[in-house]
This record gives sequence, structure tokens and C-alpha cells, in this order.
Amino acid sequence: MSIITTKNLSKEYPSKSFSKEKILALNNFSFEVESGEIFGILGPNGAGKTTLIKILLGITNRTKGEITIFDKEINENSYKKKLGYLPENHKFPNYLTGEEVMKFYGKMSGMSGKDVKKRTDELLKIVDMEKWRKTKIKKYSKGMLQRLGLAQAMINDPELIFLDEPTDGVDPIGRKEIRDILEEMKERGKTIFLNSHLLSEVELICDRVAILNKGSLVKSGRVDEITLVPDNYVIHCSDLEENIMNRLLTGFKVTILGSNEFHFKTQSYEDLNKLIDFLRQNGILIRGVQREKNTLENMFINLIGSQN
Amino acid sequence: MIFLTLVLSTFREAVAKKIFLGFFAISTLIILIFLFLINVDSVEGMVDMMGASGEEGIRNLVIGFEVGMINISYLLIITFCLISVASFIPSMLEKGNIDLLLSKPISRTNIILAKFTGGVLLVFMSLVYLIGFVWIILSSKSGFWHFPFLLTIFWLTLSFAIIYSLIILIGVISQSTILSILVSFFLVFIVCPVLYVREETIFTLVDNNIVQFIINFFYYILPKPTDINKITTEIITGEQVKTYMPVFSSVLFMLAVLSASVFYFKKKDY
Repeated sequence: MSIITTKNLSKEYPSKSFSKEKILALNNFSFEVESGEIFGILGPNGAGKTTLIKILLGITNRTKGEITIFDKEINENSYKKKLGYLPENHKFPNYLTGEEVMKFYGKMSGMSGKDVKKRTDELLKIVDMEKWRKTKIKKYSKGMLQRLGLAQAMINDPELIFLDEPTDGVDPIGRKEIRDILEEMKERGKTIFLNSHLLSEVELICDRVAILNKGSLVKSGRVDEITLVPDNYVIHCSDLEENIMNRLLTGFKVTILGSNEFHFKTQSYEDLNKLIDFLRQNGILIRGVQREKNTLENMFINLIGSQN
Repeated sequence: MIFLTLVLSTFREAVAKKIFLGFFAISTLIILIFLFLINVDSVEGMVDMMGASGEEGIRNLVIGFEVGMINISYLLIITFCLISVASFIPSMLEKGNIDLLLSKPISRTNIILAKFTGGVLLVFMSLVYLIGFVWIILSSKSGFWHFPFLLTIFWLTLSFAIIYSLIILIGVISQSTILSILVSFFLVFIVCPVLYVREETIFTLVDNNIVQFIINFFYYILPKPTDINKITTEIITGEQVKTYMPVFSSVLFMLAVLSASVFYFKKKDY
């Protein structure tokens, strides 16, 4: 079941110069986010990622298109009761303590005082901020603010949570803790919409991603699917003698990676089977045939690089 | 509930920024002056000096005090209050703060109205403290309980609310505290007083009908805090209020400006 659906979503900003030309931040963007998944949105700077999040949250007005969240067109604010949001570079009033931040945003989400208190106790413990709860946030470090921000985004136990660069300024241990929190939320059936520049992190936790470039959707799908390189295999085998290597190089599209490992590019399964037959006929023991996989980062760089 | 939370957050912001603590300190000073410097002997002495006697003399003296205080402190109070609240909207609109606020289940209209209500309530409570205590001290020392003076709280709050609506509009458009203060001061301390005395001053110098029409036009569409102060004085002294037109037109101005703020805020992308 999809929890977010957009159809032909577009956003135009007026140009800051005197020309009548408009800046197209989103161009007929259509996508779906399924309930209970961690969905990542990727793209270079200025691709329209934050604009998309802000439109979904009603912070920015769309120019055209349809948006459905929780099966309803987002014309009223009531859907926001089930949302959580951690903006990039969030700014809480610095005269508040950590506990007061939680109280304020909890009540702003429509929660009762009793529920806010209970959730604050739970969440500050989860994000390891309990001992700083009475301290004014102007004394917090960037990492502490980010942990508090995450707790704030979860205060109303949202069904759908938007996280814009949630690990910004957080050390590697803190990042791991945040990933664990997100995994735990996913296990509880929550949907997470993530925008992060750390592609290795996105690759680790996201089920599906959408890649945006210049306001348009250029690719989307499951992370393990879109990082696969089609028709490319890595073959692991017993040691190859020199004459076998030479015959492989002349008869097949291979790149030798080592004495017992080579890369094979093919267009069809028949070619792959021919190669396997050749190896077996020559007494080579096949230890593994793997489809080649790219890192998300490599795939992203190649994809965006080819477009710009 | 959410609306109330936002109203109360305005109070919290005011306390944190020590804005109204200053107002509270000055008000306390004025109250202490009234408490310790005015005693029964001095009241009787002043009544004798005025040549009046008995209840009538005390009545005139108390009303004189009240009018004097309002006329002197009116501009001071309005100035202080406007400076105090001018940062509410620009600080709310700061990037990273407004995003979070708009992601909550509250409409943009209610956000503006909550900020307006919060500011007005703060000023109302501050005035209740100042005017209320001054009234109690004056009344208990003189024995003359002059209730119309308490209406000053309402009239001063109304004057503030009218100008505050303009501060909100400028704040929403420009996100600048300084500009909000400058424009409101220019209006309250220069434009409005000049328009108030336009017939005795400008019209004696300029007899061109078109110019007079334009000046009158601005007089009628702009708020009239000077006129409202005059009405306040008339009410305290018990004089017949000649016209409430300045009140009605100023309230209309306030409603129009608030509507414009809401309209702009709804259209704006953050």
C-alpha cells in the first residue's frame, strides 16, 4: 500500500533576476512510497530534493500536480498529525531546554501533556540525551542538536517521518545509533523518507531510492536492483594457466582480475553458459559466478555525470 | 490546544528575551513612586492648592493625575510594547524554525492569529499590572474610586493591537525587525499626529482641494492612535466622546492588515 503518491508534481520559482524565465525546481515528478519502507531521495545539490520534502509537508506550495498522503489529497493540515519531520539545519528556539523543545513540538503536534511527558522520557533515553534534558540547547553541540531533532521528529510516534540529512554533524558511532533507531522504527511498521548526502548510509538502510536531477526523476527502484550492473559477471575459479588465460582473452569478452578471478561481459545467458562449458572442459573448477554490483555512489556518479 | 501552545510560546519567548521584564521593572518603579511619594497629606495639600475642596477637589485631582499619567506614559508604553514584540514574527520566520512550525497540524492563518493574540495578551497583562496598581494606589489614598480609568487598559491595548497588526505584516513580508520598528514608529509618531492636526496645520498652508482630499484619504484609511488617545482622555475626564469613528476605522485597518498578512503568509514558500 502506498503511503505517499505524487502525480505530475511541478514547482516553479520566479527567477531572481528581472527576466520572466522561471526556475523549474520539480518537473512532472511522479512517484510512490510504500508503507513500512525506508525510502531514500538522492540527487546533486539543487536537484529539488528539499523542495519535494517541503511540498509534501505543506511548507512550500506546489505549482501543479497531485499529492496523496495516507490516501488523502493534502488539502487540510490534519494529515500532519501523523507526520514527523527533521529539517536540514533545524533551528529550535535557543532559550529552551531539550525537554522544553520536546514539550513544545509535542503539543504542537496535538498531543496531550501526559503523552508528551511519557514520550519525552522514552525518546531522550533512546537518543542518549537524557542527562542533557534540563540544559539550554544553546549549549548543545551540533551532534546533540541533531539527536534532539531526531527525538523531536519522533515525539508523536509518527506513521511517516521525513528526515533531511539526519546524520549531519554526527560522529560515526552516533550515525550507527541513528541507523539502528531507523531500523527499529521500520520494524514497527513506520515509513521513513530520507534525504542524505551520505550514499553509503543510504545504501545501508534504504529499501528503495529515487534519484532526482534538475527536478526530474531519473531513476528509482530497490537499492539492490539499481546497483546491479546488467550482463556483467565476476567469475571465481581455480588457478588459471597462462594458455587458458590467453584463450579466454581471445575467445570471450573478459578482463583478468587475478590468477583465479576474472570479469566477464556478455549480452546473453547462452554466452555465459558457453564460457562455463569452456572452463569445465579445461578442468577449471568454478567457485562462484556473481553478477557484478556497483556501489550506490558509483552508480549515482555515473548516472548524474552522464546527464550533466 | 495547538493554538494555545503557540500563544503561550509567545509568552515564553518574551520572558526569555527579557523583553517584558524591562516593562515590568519600569511599571514597578512607577507603582512604587505612586505608592511612596503620594500620601494623604500631600493629596489634601494639593486639593487646597487647587482652590477646590471636598469630594469635588479630590475627584479633580485624581482625574488630573490619571490624565497626566496617560498623556505622559502613552507614547512610552506604546514605544516599549512595539519594540518588545517587533522580533516575534522575524524570529518565527527564521529558516529551520518556520519549516518545523509549518510541518505541524496548524493552519497558517492560525499561526499568524496565535502570534497576534500572544502579543496582544502580553501587553494587556502588562497594562493590567501597571494601570491596575496605579488605580488601586490612587483610589485607596484619595478615597475616590474612579472606574473609567481602568478602561485605559482596554484603549491602550487596542491602540497597541492596531499597530502590532502592521508590525506583523511588515515582519511577514520583510522578515526584518528593524524595518518593522521603523515603519511603525514613523506611522505612530510622525504620520498619525500630523494627520490628526491636518486641519489646523496643513490645510491652513495648502488650500488645494485635491491635496486636501489626498491627505484626508490617508487620514481615514490609516490607523488613528492619536485620536484614540484623545478618546481615552475624554472617557477619563467624563467628557462626551465626540465620535468613535477613529476607533472603528482603526479596527477596520487592523482587520485589513491582518488579512493581508495571512494572505501573504499563505502564498509564501519557505
